[in-house]
Amino acid sequence: MTKILLIEDIPDNAELVRKALSQSGYEIIHAPDAETGLQMALAQHPDLILLDLGLPDYDGQTLAGWLRAEAVLDATPIIALTAWPEETAKQMVESYGCNGYICKPITKVNIFVAQVNSFLKTPNANP
Amino acid sequence: MPTPNTTTAIKLIPASHFNYEQLAAIYNQTRVDYMVPMPMNAARLAEYVATYDVDLDLSLVATTPDGEMLGVAMLGLREGRAWLTRLGVIPNTRRTGVGQALVESLMEQAARLSINFVMLEVIKNNVPAHQLFIKFGFYEIGELLVLRRSPLISPLDPIVADAQRLDRTDSLTLVGRDRGTQPWTNQSESLFNAYEVSGLHLTLADGSRGWLVYQRQKFLLTRFAFKTEVGDPATVAYALLSHLHHQYPRLDTQIENIQINDPHLPAFYEMGYVESFRRIEMWHGRPPASLKMNPS
Repeated sequence: MTKILLIEDIPDNAELVRKALSQSGYEIIHAPDAETGLQMALAQHPDLILLDLGLPDYDGQTLAGWLRAEAVLDATPIIALTAWPEETAKQMVESYGCNGYICKPITKVNIFVAQVNSFLKTPNANP
Repeated sequence: MPTPNTTTAIKLIPASHFNYEQLAAIYNQTRVDYMVPMPMNAARLAEYVATYDVDLDLSLVATTPDGEMLGVAMLGLREGRAWLTRLGVIPNTRRTGVGQALVESLMEQAARLSINFVMLEVIKNNVPAHQLFIKFGFYEIGELLVLRRSPLISPLDPIVADAQRLDRTDSLTLVGRDRGTQPWTNQSESLFNAYEVSGLHLTLADGSRGWLVYQRQKFLLTRFAFKTEVGDPATVAYALLSHLHHQYPRLDTQIENIQINDPHLPAFYEMGYVESFRRIEMWHGRPPASLKMNPS
């Protein structure tokens, strides 16, 4: 089963993503902060990482930099979840080694799932 | 649950009655729908309070009479000035007078201490907050930039210069204590309160020279103060940054509240820094004569 690591601190947002992706057949593992996210990524080698850029211990960008510096995660797609304006989001994901981004808030679950499917097939296929 | 656009009965409680876990939880709830939510855990909030001289006895949590959380606002205090920060109202209780009650009370707290100069920053395009501050008599000073540089950018070779690394004592001596009208986060006290502060002093071949003081956190370089003593600011800054990032190639960098007209800025962009977002700096009252105006 395809395993997705979700790093998201807001419980309601995490539950929304977990429910949407579980129903689509994905295994979801969840970390509520950056330190836990790094540990889980290294221990469990997910197929894709969904990374909220606003985290309570370290910013998502800082975490993206750590994740990208780990050789074992070199090929793992990292997708930022962000409410940044499009231009800022693009700059941030490019400079911090993310493969793409999905805009928050997630309002249409079917579109969100389609975006995740797309990133799993083609990691650099940004909208 | 309060209904939007109606007045809510509001109880204001000193923030010192809550622990950091509780305060972080309240604060995070007020920001869940922000474009830049900047959530904090208890440790990060405690560091924020200590670094920026936030007085939790004077800071406030707003609740309903039944104890339901509504919002929070904090007040920093330094000689001759105060700082309004971390103002937030929980989304489903906005437009019910909570923000106004919090700001009004903090302004009264400052006035009771005979502090008539209050500073703040508001995220650009946060129109409701900006309008609230205007209503209380705050006026705009200018725009501030929050910049980041990824550690994935390959460091360049450092520019040839006579480079001297500075320890905390020497760094803080250079910073001095006369930065009182800089944005609050960048004032001398913030660096004096911070841990792991060090610096660099460079002299270039043409005699240009300057210094950079910074805080090195576990994964992040931050809280920059810099000055060009002689020469072109952008050239000196580029040389300083080339040495800094050569020294710490694996650290992320975030710097806050750089004034948009700062002459050092071109060097940051050339070095791969990108703009995260902008804030607007606002003041209430005039700086007391004891504060020297914005030395660069």
